[in-house]
Amino acid sequence: MSMKQDTSSPSTAEGMGLFERFLSVWVALAIVAGILLGQLAPAIPEALSRLEVAQVSIPIAVLIWAMIFPMMAQIDFTSIAGVRRQPKGLTITTAVNWLIKPFSMFAIAWLFFMVIFQPFIPEALASQYLAGAILLGAAPCTAMVFVWSYLTRGDAAYTLVQVALNDLIMLFAFAPIVVFLLGISNIQVPWNTVALSVVLYIVIPLAAGYITRQSLIKKRGAEWYDNVFMKRVGPITPIGLIITLVMLFAFQGEVILNNPLHIVLIAIPLIIQTFLIFFIAYGWAKVWRVPHNIAAPGAMIGASNFFELAVAAAIALFGMQSGAALATVVGVLVEVPLMLALVRIANKTRRHFPADAH
Amino acid sequence: MDDVIEIEENALAYIKQRGNVLTVRLSPRHGCCGGSANVAVAEAISPKDPSLFQRYHHQGITLFTDPKLTYQGLKINVEGFWKLRHLYVEGASVLAR
Repeated sequence: MSMKQDTSSPSTAEGMGLFERFLSVWVALAIVAGILLGQLAPAIPEALSRLEVAQVSIPIAVLIWAMIFPMMAQIDFTSIAGVRRQPKGLTITTAVNWLIKPFSMFAIAWLFFMVIFQPFIPEALASQYLAGAILLGAAPCTAMVFVWSYLTRGDAAYTLVQVALNDLIMLFAFAPIVVFLLGISNIQVPWNTVALSVVLYIVIPLAAGYITRQSLIKKRGAEWYDNVFMKRVGPITPIGLIITLVMLFAFQGEVILNNPLHIVLIAIPLIIQTFLIFFIAYGWAKVWRVPHNIAAPGAMIGASNFFELAVAAAIALFGMQSGAALATVVGVLVEVPLMLALVRIANKTRRHFPADAH
Repeated sequence: MDDVIEIEENALAYIKQRGNVLTVRLSPRHGCCGGSANVAVAEAISPKDPSLFQRYHHQGITLFTDPKLTYQGLKINVEGFWKLRHLYVEGASVLAR
């Protein structure tokens, strides 16, 4: 527990169960299952797609809320009071997440999709992939960062504060950043559609999570909330994620079958961006002599993404069959192996940082 | 690390205003892609089931703490104002579930 004498690193198996360690495998299986569903029983996705209210697919909205609500319900916004405790760490993570990450994602994705991969991807589809990458770049990790922080022996109090701060910023910054970057990419999305997706997939789950948390803690206590309520509700997120992916690929079957190579092409800029953001934040922390238990979680939150929000926004803005939705899913596909590679890098470079701040 | 858990003066005053009881426990946080980890949290209330905790009389208060969190050099402090005022644990890493 005390990090002063402990120089060992937790094993991946301790922090992650079978499901999360092999997430890429389950995502790949969900892709195959979705494609098979779309090809063998197309009536099912077609029937589900007709259940719409104000152009919002009700089954998809329910799945997305199932993914996002549990994460929002575990955010402790009173932690925001701790923003003054690790000013260097929070300055780095806030600047990287909101002033660098969305724009570097846009720049890298634009370079690959619109220039380097021009011979392989039709222009209209390339714009869609760019849009998906923009959505990924504008949403930093919200929940998985606790697992990455554990695997790098990150400071618990700091991790809580940075998650609360980033979620609060996301509430106000996600829509303007997305609209701006889509605008300069000549991808027209009506403001009211973006505003609706922000209300549906950020404001409502966040408010519902906050109200649920406050009222249940008041009624039953924080211990019951953590150990009973969240224990039941928390695992809904990954289940919702996998079902959403099956649904998504039931609609995406033709795109994937016609362009199987596109998954690899989409993954390349996403992988480069993940490493770039990690090294910017981690290197900055090294220059500022930030302790390792702050530097590692600070770099991890930006490197990882809030996939559920990106997938939700892509579906809301561009539809289930869109290239944008496909691009956000490729982000999920590569997430765990990439982040585990960064965990290994962080643990191997621990000695280059000052002793842990406690 | 002589203390079970060190409690800062301001935190001690806050705990004494609220009934002289402190619980330091592990709170699980779930990852969006699965997995979970524990963070140490402090509250000025008694635990639901005290038998799951180690009990100490410490600095004039009753302290209930998760056995994994004792003698680890942890420090309890208080921060924020009005509704945001809360206790927090310094010195704890994120732990395995």
